[in-house]
Amino acid sequence: MVSTIQNTDVKQGFGPENMRLKKGIIGKDSSLCLLAEDADPVSSLQKDADRAVVVAVTSRAVFDCGAEDGDDVYGVGVAFPLLQALQRVNERLLEENPAESLLFDVVLITTDSQQQQQSSRIISNTRHYGLEISRFCFSSEEDFIESLLTNHVDLFLSTDRSEAAQASHKGVFSALLNRKVASSEQLRVLFCGDAVIRPDTDSPSASQDAAQSFSAQLGEMRQRFGLLHSPLSIVLVTSRGGRESCGTALRTLRSRGVSVDEAYCLAGAPRSPFLSLLRPHFLLNNDLED
Amino acid sequence: MSLDPVQVMSGQVKELKVGPSSNGDSRGSWEEKEEFDKDKLGLTTKPKPVTGRRSRKVEGGVFFPKPENAVTVAVSSRVLFRTEREQKVFEQEGVEEYLRYQIEHENEPFTPGPAFPFVKALEAVNCRLRELYPQSEELFDIVLVTYNHAHVGIRLINTINHHNLFIERFCMTGGSSPIGYLKAWHTNLYLSADADKVREALSEGIAAATMFMSEKVTEVSESQLRVAFDGDAVLFSDESERIFKAHGLDKFFEHERENEDTLLDHGPLKGFLEALGKLQKKFYAKGQRLDCPIRTYLVTARSAASSGIRALKTLRAWGLEIDEALFLAGAPKGPMLEKIRPHIYFDDQMFHIEGAAEMGTVAAHVPYGIAQKHNAKQNPTVRK
Repeated sequence: MVSTIQNTDVKQGFGPENMRLKKGIIGKDSSLCLLAEDADPVSSLQKDADRAVVVAVTSRAVFDCGAEDGDDVYGVGVAFPLLQALQRVNERLLEENPAESLLFDVVLITTDSQQQQQSSRIISNTRHYGLEISRFCFSSEEDFIESLLTNHVDLFLSTDRSEAAQASHKGVFSALLNRKVASSEQLRVLFCGDAVIRPDTDSPSASQDAAQSFSAQLGEMRQRFGLLHSPLSIVLVTSRGGRESCGTALRTLRSRGVSVDEAYCLAGAPRSPFLSLLRPHFLLNNDLED
Repeated sequence: MSLDPVQVMSGQVKELKVGPSSNGDSRGSWEEKEEFDKDKLGLTTKPKPVTGRRSRKVEGGVFFPKPENAVTVAVSSRVLFRTEREQKVFEQEGVEEYLRYQIEHENEPFTPGPAFPFVKALEAVNCRLRELYPQSEELFDIVLVTYNHAHVGIRLINTINHHNLFIERFCMTGGSSPIGYLKAWHTNLYLSADADKVREALSEGIAAATMFMSEKVTEVSESQLRVAFDGDAVLFSDESERIFKAHGLDKFFEHERENEDTLLDHGPLKGFLEALGKLQKKFYAKGQRLDCPIRTYLVTARSAASSGIRALKTLRAWGLEIDEALFLAGAPKGPMLEKIRPHIYFDDQMFHIEGAAEMGTVAAHVPYGIAQKHNAKQNPTVRK
């Protein structure tokens, strides 16, 4: 699918604070990825490519694109608080150490052609809401995975299960976004312990390596903060298995540099009442196939 | 490490004939066993079938009940185990040092706390229930619900392993309120060292009590669970206590007499007594009334001849059986409890809790009702 967005077109849609776009990357199938450069000093820091934790989120999850009143402003989607929470983590990391390079690098990606054609509106809306987006990828359903790979995405988040599963199969570490309202104050990441100790043998080892690498980065980020008032909380839930399973998961995560804040061993009790209380932004190592 | 928990509870506790029982049944020695027909698995109370969801099995073929079918007892780590040393580190040196200390001592199990004998007795009942009803989910389910950070998790798991406890479910909330999780577990009883959390649980309709560490602990039975309850403001509401506090003893008696046929309203622990009663009936259905591993007691300051009648009528109307009702007519409870040797005794008044603890009974405070405004000063050896 050929993208028809040019830099000039994008500028025209704006108010006084023009977002300048540079370094367009044209993907193999003509998907367009644009690196944003803002006036905001915090996000204008060029994130060190090696240290940044690149998180890609589908545009459909960030904005409620259905609400079209002729007004150019979209409604907010379920991933909105997530982006705010990621921003908060970055802010706090920089407070602790202004030279910090281990930061979240947020990529907004379209995964279908309809969204792909909304590129200028998507960009203007991120501006309108003050979201800190490093890169935009305007891809279609055919080439979004390619974009994810090209952009060295560490974690891909979507509300669409099949989308996440497809990306996972191609080696991109993916997770489902929680559809329920979550906090914008604290990023809450939930590890599904059953998969920590018994990795899904269907997903390729590249995806498993990516999972471990992301976990290690997250663990390192968590260490930057004290035990109380952390903008990031790591939660472990084991659904099947008794206390030994949970103990093994705790030890395994610890060996990968991940210190868990909260642990829940359900031993067969239904998960949903606990997930409602825990309100994670996303679940890692969760079975995407069920 | 100090006490081996097995030593503390060694030795059989013989059945003691205590107090007049309310319904005059003769009690044979509980060591007599009655034969039951193993082939006739006539379940009187079948677990309700839930479409699409079968009972959960986990590794090793061990069986776990659905929370709504089991009698769930949630305990905090500070009442299940003794954690005074660690508490001191927390109070004096802060949370980071506290967790560092915990991790450093990860392979040292904690010693048993005040709720430990109670939990062991629950497990003994489960063994008997599983023998009689192998497929039933109507069992005690013990869940560790702690405010603690997951850094303490491995030490807690090691401790559970060391003491051979059957606890496979837990919530370590890392500082968040445990109350929501209590509901998610369909908790029937919550035991904690933190009175604020207990009060919060009570206000959400969950039976709860605060436990304290006491230096003197008498031996209790390893094979029969014994649970004792105060009447007013525990099984029953505090309405009568209010009259007593406001208008004195004479008015209290008058009020009780006038209202003898009016049922008392229910108190926070009524539901738990009810849950115990349901399990007891499962033993009775198999001809094990005399050998029942659950025994319940009412230990009340009411007197048998007068104000006690209303209590009994209320229990009967609720369809609740209590094995022994002890009307003390105002006499101290300590000596009576020392004879009964319950694994746990619930009372709303700290005065009675302290009295019980002085004589070695594990007593749990139910911070409910009018008595909370009149609580006695806490005994320094009985810590919060």
